[in-house]
Amino acid sequence: MIIAERKPIEEILGLLSKHQKVLVLGCGGCVTVCLAGGEKEVGILSSQLTMARSKEERPLEIVQKTIERQCDFEYFEGIRHIVKDVDAILSLACGIGIQTCAEAFPDKIVWPGVNTKFLGVNLNVGEWAERCQACGQCVLDKTGGICPVARCSKSIFNGPCGGSQDGKCEVSPDTDCAWALIHDRLTRLGEVDSLREILPVKDWSYSRDGGPRKLVREDLELESGK
Amino acid sequence: MSANADFQPKIIVFACENSGWLAAEHAAELALSYPERVELIKLPCSGKIDVLFFMKALEKADGTIVLACQKENCKFIKGNIRAAQRVKQTENLLKEIGIEPERVGLYYLAANMGHKFVEIIQNFYDKIRELGPNPGKVIK
Repeated sequence: MIIAERKPIEEILGLLSKHQKVLVLGCGGCVTVCLAGGEKEVGILSSQLTMARSKEERPLEIVQKTIERQCDFEYFEGIRHIVKDVDAILSLACGIGIQTCAEAFPDKIVWPGVNTKFLGVNLNVGEWAERCQACGQCVLDKTGGICPVARCSKSIFNGPCGGSQDGKCEVSPDTDCAWALIHDRLTRLGEVDSLREILPVKDWSYSRDGGPRKLVREDLELESGK
Repeated sequence: MSANADFQPKIIVFACENSGWLAAEHAAELALSYPERVELIKLPCSGKIDVLFFMKALEKADGTIVLACQKENCKFIKGNIRAAQRVKQTENLLKEIGIEPERVGLYYLAANMGHKFVEIIQNFYDKIRELGPNPGKVIK
């Protein structure tokens, strides 16, 4: 899922400083699961904001709402009547949701309430780790299900490098060496010899090469046009 | 003492139904009295308390506490441990916006401690009275 973290409260208060009535808009997707921008976080942040502004004797009226997902346009239709009455929207969705929200409401100011961090996994309560960089051409079949792009600090394909010590990365003793993980897992599976295969250079044209990416699947189209 | 001698704090008390709530009933049976502007809310366990509950309470109150079972005596094993964590989390949220973290608290007691219940409430009430009104209160 997409991992995000709430922005510092001072930053959010700064963004909202000129507004009297805002919609704090949560998302029921990834940010709910990673406890950054779901219904509960909307409630807690709204409480903090109204209390902080009340303390400054500049009351802030907040409307709270959490929609199913902010990365799909259709979910914004149900809140148009709320949006027209507020000065601005504080979106607690990931960067994708915030942009979709701004696109759905072109005449309304949309502020980001979270910093989107990475695509990752939940390891423990309050602990997440990166697992995917959306490079566009998955190599997990060759690397025992462990991604060297996202999990090797250098994203190298012929690791481990000289900085690998006792299964840890030289960048941080808390970071596992992805290539040590790959080697250990393939050994456990009896597939370590597969690493001897000489692979062609990874085709990075599927990644950020060529600017923002777009995917069109004509097989899913039901009607002509949008 | 606060500059405003007439200040009567509003306190919201979340009470575990296995300890704090019963202690409040015990205090009532003993005809013990405590400040008037104290609102009690029953929880099935102190572990049910949530940061959001504390924050919503502080939108209209000057202080809020949770009453939990004695340490290692939670019917649900870890409820009072979790309550302690949520108090810390709320303290941090209050510090972030410049509100005294002392406005939130956790106290341990048992069901048969009516006197202790009144002592806790009175002490917390007095502490909040010293602090003065909650500057972040939204509902005045």
